[in-house]
Amino acid sequence: MKKILFANTLIGMLATTAVADVNIGNPMALTGPIPDLVAPMAQAVDLAAQNINDQGGMFSGGEAYNVIRADSACDPVAAVDAVTKLINVSSVAAIVGPVCSGAAIAQAESVSIPAGVVTLSVSASSPAITNMENGTDLVFRTAASDAYQGVALANLAIAKGITDVAVSYANDDYNVAIAGVFSEAFTAAGGTVTANEAHEPSKASYRSEVATLGATSDNLALFAYYGSGGITLMRNALETSAFTTFIGADGMLSDEVIDQIGSENLGTTTFTTSASDPTTKAFGAWKAIADAAGVPASDPFVPNAYDATFMIALAIEKAGSADREGIAAALREIASAPGEVILPGEWEKAKGILAKGGDINYEGAAGNQDFDENGDVAGLFSMSSVVDGAWAATLIE
Amino acid sequence: MEAYLGYFLYFLSLATVGGIYAIFALGLNVQWGFAGLFNVGIVGFAAVGAYTYALLTTAESTFHYGGLDLPLPVGMFVAMVASAVIAGVIGLICIRLRSDYLAIATIGIAEIIKLILKNETEVTNGPRGINKIPRAWEHFSEERFYSSWPMSWFNTPDGWAVFFDALPNWWWQPCFAATVLFCMYVIYRMLERARISPWGRMMTAIRENEPAARASGKNVTARRVEAFVIGAAIMGFAGALFAQHLRLIEPTNTFDPAKVTFLVWVMLILGGSGNNRGAMLGAFLIWTIWSASELMISGIIDLAGYVFQTFDTGLLATRAGFLRMMLIGILMQVVLQKYPAGILPEVRPASPRSNK
Amino acid sequence: MWESFGFEFVNFYFIPGLVLGCIYALGAIGITLTFGILRFANFAHGELMMMGAYLTWTIMAIATAVLGIAVHPLLAAIPASIVVIYLFFWTDKFFYKPFRKADTIKVVMASFGMMLILRSAVQVIWGPNQLTFVPGIAKPNPSLLGWSSDIGAMLLIPNKHLFIFAGTILFVVVLSYILNRTRIGKAMRAVSDSPDLAHVTGIDVDQVIRATWIVGGVCAIAAGVFLAMDIQMLETTMGFRMLLPMFAAAILGGIGKPYGAVVGGLVIGLSEELSAYPWIGDAPLLSPGYKTGVAFAIMVVMLIVRPQGLFKGRSF
Repeated sequence: MKKILFANTLIGMLATTAVADVNIGNPMALTGPIPDLVAPMAQAVDLAAQNINDQGGMFSGGEAYNVIRADSACDPVAAVDAVTKLINVSSVAAIVGPVCSGAAIAQAESVSIPAGVVTLSVSASSPAITNMENGTDLVFRTAASDAYQGVALANLAIAKGITDVAVSYANDDYNVAIAGVFSEAFTAAGGTVTANEAHEPSKASYRSEVATLGATSDNLALFAYYGSGGITLMRNALETSAFTTFIGADGMLSDEVIDQIGSENLGTTTFTTSASDPTTKAFGAWKAIADAAGVPASDPFVPNAYDATFMIALAIEKAGSADREGIAAALREIASAPGEVILPGEWEKAKGILAKGGDINYEGAAGNQDFDENGDVAGLFSMSSVVDGAWAATLIE
Repeated sequence: MEAYLGYFLYFLSLATVGGIYAIFALGLNVQWGFAGLFNVGIVGFAAVGAYTYALLTTAESTFHYGGLDLPLPVGMFVAMVASAVIAGVIGLICIRLRSDYLAIATIGIAEIIKLILKNETEVTNGPRGINKIPRAWEHFSEERFYSSWPMSWFNTPDGWAVFFDALPNWWWQPCFAATVLFCMYVIYRMLERARISPWGRMMTAIRENEPAARASGKNVTARRVEAFVIGAAIMGFAGALFAQHLRLIEPTNTFDPAKVTFLVWVMLILGGSGNNRGAMLGAFLIWTIWSASELMISGIIDLAGYVFQTFDTGLLATRAGFLRMMLIGILMQVVLQKYPAGILPEVRPASPRSNK
Repeated sequence: MWESFGFEFVNFYFIPGLVLGCIYALGAIGITLTFGILRFANFAHGELMMMGAYLTWTIMAIATAVLGIAVHPLLAAIPASIVVIYLFFWTDKFFYKPFRKADTIKVVMASFGMMLILRSAVQVIWGPNQLTFVPGIAKPNPSLLGWSSDIGAMLLIPNKHLFIFAGTILFVVVLSYILNRTRIGKAMRAVSDSPDLAHVTGIDVDQVIRATWIVGGVCAIAAGVFLAMDIQMLETTMGFRMLLPMFAAAILGGIGKPYGAVVGGLVIGLSEELSAYPWIGDAPLLSPGYKTGVAFAIMVVMLIVRPQGLFKGRSF
């Protein structure tokens, strides 16, 4: 038994190292608390790699662009272990994807920054990532920091005429952060936060929490993952008619919410997401690709995952080799002006320009993806509400 | 050549994490192997050690209490003491409970510790956790260390910066691995001494036949509390090393009972409870299997996809992580039934007289 | 004043606590019986509960797909429970029985491993994503609301909760009949109270163990299905999350005492929900973040102060 397993290990290792392909590592939280959010993101990563390989692959030799996936489980322990293997055993050129902020920070501080490998996160949105590096320029992300989304949501609430709101947030790294930013921004904009309570994720009932909060306001700002308690809390709130209006952030934005709660009950619900401008050509291009491949184009962080995978490929192409050193600088160059605008999926065009030594500027599915000095993107936000039984997004100006 | 360096570094990381788990397993061996105390709250002591270390040694931060910017060894030591003190309190209250009850009580207490770490946001930064935890050796290359005493004695900050830039970026990895293994070795030697000492033999006597030990005038409760506290202190120390290795700790996912408590138990049972060398062997073996099984399973899935071309491996690949968990569970069942005493069964210390 | 107090307290704290308590109670019955008769803490109990709910969901889905009819969960739970009971027998035969003469720790470890195996099996087969058990939201039962507001009480209880209350009462009545009136039930109580004596009087221990698994299994599936009915969805971690509160309930009631487990379950469920009630001032008495800790705290305190439980169960 053991021998067979070892033989398989060897085969597995040979399969990943023997060919002179370009390998990137993709740690994703396939297990852990949010597998349902992650599955479509992983599809988007694979879709980007497939687009690139279909359109001639990497470099002049047409080498394959391989995504080597590992499981970070949203857990610093697993993430550090997974990324150690990706960097050392699979010798990846760059890391695309750590999903949860905690896991992303741990893997970057513990493994990838010391090893000098670029990390481009697809959904780690914690404000703590902005200032985590000491003098290196190796951590980037295609998802906007919660610091922006919290403010956008607060402004949206004010614009909708909400003057007082009760805040309920799941006690996990993502939701605590965004709830904090929201409350601050909402108060600063003249609103009143009547109650601000944490709730433990994944409980069977939130009726007492809902009642305590419901006594203070008719409006609920809910920060939770739909997959770990968010839907239950929302359902409890609707059952008891404790609130009339619901607002929230992208952790709650999923078709699953409509399937489980029913669109007829979600008439007064608005969720923001760090999504994309659906009127742009970039989003149109992405939507066409995603629809053809059956990937949900507007789910949280799915366009960001596609952008990240695509941009790392562009950066490697620009740098001219899969060496780890040049990628960070090249990533900054391909992401912003000057240069010919490249839309999602336009690999052949980008490759042609780069081969001639030209400049490109990637405009992503999830926004224009111009990095600031901290490797953050500003990002656009949309608000989604239910129209005809499905989420309909409109951009927040 | 590059590839060999990569394998070497992966090997070092296996040795580092394996070593940390080995220290956990040694701590558990004192509690379970020596004294027969069924502690299922390992994760609680690990968290206490890790948080204490993190709060004491990180640079000052607005997110959490401190950090107090203390030297690393001080942090390690206080982590040990904190864990021991908490274990002492728990021990005095709970030690008389029978095995299953102690197990349930320790699980409950570990969960309460985690809840406190999660909810006392002022002190611990709540679920967002503490990051930038200094790691032994690597921390020398951080500016706040080389620009202050004692490092500033030997060189100017600029001089140090040049010095560290000249080193390869993985220079600290062998040093950190060696430190972990050295700590493990020291703890192992101390426990071996304890095991063959009269104290250790008394522990065996209490575990095997409590009424007889009581009848011969041994203070059973006090000995048990001792074992519980010593084991917890070792776990707290391992927790501090764990925090160094990860550099970010947060209460929910880092201290997941399935991945700390349960894994350590499997390590000890597989290696051989009661045997310190067994505990260490089990830790390295299980951690290697745990870590390498990810490579193995993706290899198996690739192979399956290659052999059966029509087989859609996508779904399986996304669920591979769960297969890994299942593998560990089955492995444990097999070991429990086929090797009930572990790979290295307990060896009774010979009494001094029969030694002659 | 009293009215507003009563309305909020009853509808948002007391009834939810009672629902949770019913689910804990049914789960704890199985735990306390296994603990009393087989003498070990079965960590896989929560996973079997979860499996029962998943199998029920599958049968409902198949019935809808093949026959085109929507089956009530409680009806679909009947075939599901047969499968799960066989699973109970099977795990007992292969994983617990070999340790019946060995240290308790071994079988507890085995059940811990079983917990992992079962959960990952569900995650591999059904996937880690949530599944919708019953879509939509459950509005309060209108006739109950109308009747109760006539007498000034205004009860907001949805049908699913009425089902859970009725189901729990039914199960407890049937259980007490089995334990008090049938031969096998008496044998179970005898083994639980004094295994040696029971052995001497010629009770077939294997038969008692099988009966224990059946009774515990049926209650576990009921608990799993009720939980799924309440939260209206399925998650692979739902069993594990209920496990520690159910242990707490079993310990509170006294090990080996099924009625104790019922009372313990209700107490734990109620105290979890009531801990967040603003007893003093306007703020919750205990931050809801600590809600899960209430069950653990009760359990630890109980173990220390009165390990035999409220109802003089077995104390080891």
